[in-house]
Amino acid sequence: MGAAAGREIHDLEHERFLEEVHSFEFWFQSVEGYLAGTTYGHRTETADESPTGAVERQRLITVLSNYCIGEMAALEGASGLIAIAPNQLTKIFLSTQVADEGRHLEVLLHRMRELGVKHPAQEADRRASRSLKQFRAELLKLVQGRDWEAAIFAQNVILESLEFAVFRAHAEGADAITKEVLEGIIKDERRHIGFGENELGRRLHGAPHIRTRLTRVREELDHLVLSMLEDSSREIGVPPDQQGELARSYLQSVERLGFT
Amino acid sequence: MADTIDAYSIQNWLESCPQSYLENTEYGHAAGEKEPDFFLQNEVLLEETIKATVQLVVGERCALSASSGLINAAPDEASRRFLATQTLDEARHVEVFTQRLYDLGVRKKDLEGTIQRYANPNLVKFAEVLLEKIDRKDFISGVVGQNIVLEGMAFSVFEMMYAMNESVNPKFAHTLSGTIADERRHVGFGENRIGSLIREHPEKRGEVEQMQKEMSYFMLATFADAFRNNRTVDELEAAGIERPHSQYQGVDLGVMAPEDMEQVLADTVLKEFKTRLGRIGIEYQTPTRP
Amino acid sequence: MVDPLESSDDDPVQRRRFLLEDTGFDEVPARYRRFYRKWRGAGDQLAPNEAICPVCKVVIRSSRELWPGDRLYCMPCMSRLVVVEATDGRLEAHVSY
Ligand SMILES: [Fe+2]
Ligand SMILES: [Fe+2]
Ligand SMILES: [Fe+2]
Ligand SMILES: [Fe+2]
Ligand SMILES: [Zn+2]
Repeated sequence: MGAAAGREIHDLEHERFLEEVHSFEFWFQSVEGYLAGTTYGHRTETADESPTGAVERQRLITVLSNYCIGEMAALEGASGLIAIAPNQLTKIFLSTQVADEGRHLEVLLHRMRELGVKHPAQEADRRASRSLKQFRAELLKLVQGRDWEAAIFAQNVILESLEFAVFRAHAEGADAITKEVLEGIIKDERRHIGFGENELGRRLHGAPHIRTRLTRVREELDHLVLSMLEDSSREIGVPPDQQGELARSYLQSVERLGFT
Repeated sequence: MADTIDAYSIQNWLESCPQSYLENTEYGHAAGEKEPDFFLQNEVLLEETIKATVQLVVGERCALSASSGLINAAPDEASRRFLATQTLDEARHVEVFTQRLYDLGVRKKDLEGTIQRYANPNLVKFAEVLLEKIDRKDFISGVVGQNIVLEGMAFSVFEMMYAMNESVNPKFAHTLSGTIADERRHVGFGENRIGSLIREHPEKRGEVEQMQKEMSYFMLATFADAFRNNRTVDELEAAGIERPHSQYQGVDLGVMAPEDMEQVLADTVLKEFKTRLGRIGIEYQTPTRP
Repeated sequence: MVDPLESSDDDPVQRRRFLLEDTGFDEVPARYRRFYRKWRGAGDQLAPNEAICPVCKVVIRSSRELWPGDRLYCMPCMSRLVVVEATDGRLEAHVSY
């Protein structure tokens, strides 16, 4: 570690760069920067301005419920992927993702508790949208089928770029605590979507025939994704004319991989 | 219940590791610490050290597969989150011990070859018994096999290695002490979480006991290979170097023959198994001695 | 692979140098922080040594003025990028797998 310390980072050999960023050490020092001084994802001194109106409060709880199930899916997916990861470095990276997803689940459940929900895990399960639950089941099927590319595609590209877009949109208008919690999650998700996109990009480059299989996976998941997007936009209060923006940032990442 | 959730939370993990004993470390030790020159320059000692480190990587790889595999088998959400932190701990252990191989001069491209050449076949079988349970998503057997048997073994091995290295190799001793701190949580989780589950599923006892017996056998066989075919003591003697008088379990390792050290370690681990298993309501099965 | 940055050192006259300072970006280990900053939204402008990561939207910085063909790494999302000239003449970073 640290061979790159004094140099221009962009001069590193690609392999050396990947070794650096996929390591536990890198993860560790990165999260230390933004998680130090927080408890359950936010600073203790942050003022609680949670919505006081019953309707808004309930709506926020439903939104968080969906996030929890999404994070649960990511936790199950990432941990299952360790078994089929192609090498030690990838396994180590996925382990850091497992801890991230566990943390996301935890801070979101905790936020629900702060909003007065007694049994957040059960409540999340009760409230989460059907398309999200179905997506979770489909993702697990791909992981259990040991299909590395398809599972990474479903999880680190589709699910995560969707979450990334939704969390970013939500953080903008959220109450102070929810905002801090979401911003911390977004910082973690950057690593995950980046890993997924680059890992798949490299594989598609080396073995273009994978594309056919992934196109099928995408077709199967697309309707779930679109309905998840619609639900989230409504719940977090994105005005209809800006909903396209949300879909766009999701579509862009799929397009960068050559799927149109 | 609130206490249980907190102790096994990621929040607790963050406060215990990054914000305390891992702060300011690099691959588990202070920056700038090095393996002692004497070991790097002596061919025999170097090979023995590499060989021993390979077993650590093999054990930790097994723990990584097991803890990540258990997440999807866990019956409750708090256990999943705890196992998420354990997965990360195990990945860190794989990484720090792999880094030690590099520090000992193993080249990156030779990593897998080196592991294959030196991995103890009995340790590999030990891992297989456990991973087969994980593969079947058998949470109870998996947690006992991993967090009590595998971790119980690792814990004692690390402590013995720590004692032997403390005065001669502070770098490696530091790596070990961080690892031991992690394993404490894992062993604790194993006992606390599984105790109640065993009570709810008494029918699992027979299978779990059988697994413990099998794993213990392969563990003893691994110890036997590791101590009896080890040239370290002879080499130090030949070089006229006095071994450090490390204290472990009330004995002086510096004056013991390898066979006796093996005996002390085996007895310590088996005694630990017996107490821990007893606490969770599993009857300890004496393994055949290889 | 030919490293475009290596060859650029032949003509240091044309390529401007920049002294990078910590910008408070906290998502990578401390020693790499100066290479990144947050995009401050509408009204923010990219300096000649900066590009936006298309994957995670962070601003990547180099100690040299960026030229088409340069390689950049985005550490927050672990992407390798290449600087290209867009149709309107502006520089963009594209992911290179
Ligand atoms: Fe997440
Ligand atoms: Fe994620
Ligand atoms: Fe371990
Ligand atoms: Fe462990
Ligand atoms: Zn990026």
